[in-house]
Amino acid sequence: MRASLIAASLVLAPSPLLAQAEEHGASKGGLLDPHGGLMIWTLLIFVALFFILSKFAFGPITRAVEAREQALQEALDRARKDREEATRLMAEHAKQLEGARAEAQRIIAEGRAVGEKLRSEMVEQTRVQQQDMLDRARNEINAEREKAIAELRAEAVDLAIAGASKVIEKNLDDQTNRRLVENYLSGAPVRRN
Amino acid sequence: MKFARLLVTVLLVLAAPAATLAAQEHGTAVAADSAQGVVPQATEAQTQNVDIITPHITDANAIDLPCLNAGFVCEVELPRWTVNVGGHIVDLSPTKHVVMLLVAALLCCAVLITAARAHERHTHAIGRPKGFAAGIEAMVLYIRNEVAVPNLGPHGEKYAPFILTLFFFILFANLLGLIPYGSTATGNVSVTLTLALVTFVVVELAGIRSQGIGYLNTIFYWNKDLPLLMRIIMFVVMTPVEIVGKLTKPFALTIRLFANMTAGHIVVLALIGLIFLFKSYVIGLAPALMATAIMLLELFVAFLQAYIFAMLSAVFIGQIREVHH
Repeated sequence: MRASLIAASLVLAPSPLLAQAEEHGASKGGLLDPHGGLMIWTLLIFVALFFILSKFAFGPITRAVEAREQALQEALDRARKDREEATRLMAEHAKQLEGARAEAQRIIAEGRAVGEKLRSEMVEQTRVQQQDMLDRARNEINAEREKAIAELRAEAVDLAIAGASKVIEKNLDDQTNRRLVENYLSGAPVRRN
Repeated sequence: MKFARLLVTVLLVLAAPAATLAAQEHGTAVAADSAQGVVPQATEAQTQNVDIITPHITDANAIDLPCLNAGFVCEVELPRWTVNVGGHIVDLSPTKHVVMLLVAALLCCAVLITAARAHERHTHAIGRPKGFAAGIEAMVLYIRNEVAVPNLGPHGEKYAPFILTLFFFILFANLLGLIPYGSTATGNVSVTLTLALVTFVVVELAGIRSQGIGYLNTIFYWNKDLPLLMRIIMFVVMTPVEIVGKLTKPFALTIRLFANMTAGHIVVLALIGLIFLFKSYVIGLAPALMATAIMLLELFVAFLQAYIFAMLSAVFIGQIREVHH
């Protein structure tokens, strides 16, 4: 419809010039004289060429080029998306790696702290046990010494009585003398070593 | 050595058009003879002023074809068709330029459709075009993406095939004028005028399509910011300006292409004519070299003018599609 309208207007457009050219008639030689027949031919050839080329040449070429451009654009978009994805993944990996490293550090530090604590605890425990054993040994020594002193004292009493009875030898009431010496001995301070 | 090769090339390049010219001169003389049979001063005109250049750049009812007679050219008469449209006799003869336009159009079709086919095949096979198809794709894409679409404005892609067709059609028509036995159809004002009018119609239709009723603003100047009295005065003054502005664009397109294509050919023909004028090999070398240089320039101009026509068309369409506030 539109095409026929264009064609009609194109055909009508040069008609006044056509008439003018006709009046000139045979004077075809002039450089600037429009010639109606040639104009009609030009018009026909041009319009026909336009429709033929539009349909068979420019249409296919333009479509192919546009398809190619679209394909290229898609490829570019995909490449960009892939690159962004890769960047994102890499950042994620780096973050994960960093996290793992921090975790390892933390674990090592923790282990070290636990070890340290354990060590000091053990040291403390050992020291306490040592102290315990020392105390116990000291107590035993004291008890043994007390016992030895008591025994020694008893022995000394016996020895003193035997000695005194040997020295005095007679008349002396055994019971009374013994009491006298015992009183003396209990009154005398025990010299500690 | 290098210079000698260059010289041979130059001579070979020039031989063909020169031969054509020589034969054409002969043909023209004969034609003038027959045409001026009725005119009393025919002999006088024949001996003194034979216009060689104009018949070469204007249209004719015969085409030159290569053949093996003297001058290696044969003139073949084209049929003359006249159509009676409501009392007016319209000459619809397929003249030389019509033939050239047809050849240009067929070359366009052959080159571009072949390239498009190959393009499709390669794209299907390896995902991209190669060789010739890739080269054509580069040209099509350049015109489309660098010339058409930026100038056409947003959503202007649907006008791109029109711009592309203009470019390739004009380019091939321009180039056909540079080969032996060819003729520059785009050096004919009727052809350029028609192309410019097509562009004009497309531009106005684009304006109507994109602006709707606002399109009238591009014809009638009605500035709502002005007080009523000034608005009317400006309307009266500016409306003709707007209309003239509209008509100037196709006019400029017409003359630019026509003049550029014609001028170079006149210079080349005049330079080649000098060779025949001096009838000396020594002096003839200078115009030959100059003509070669001009031909190289012409080759550039052929591309340039096709590019400019296409670009300006895109600019005009883009301008009118911008909504005026």
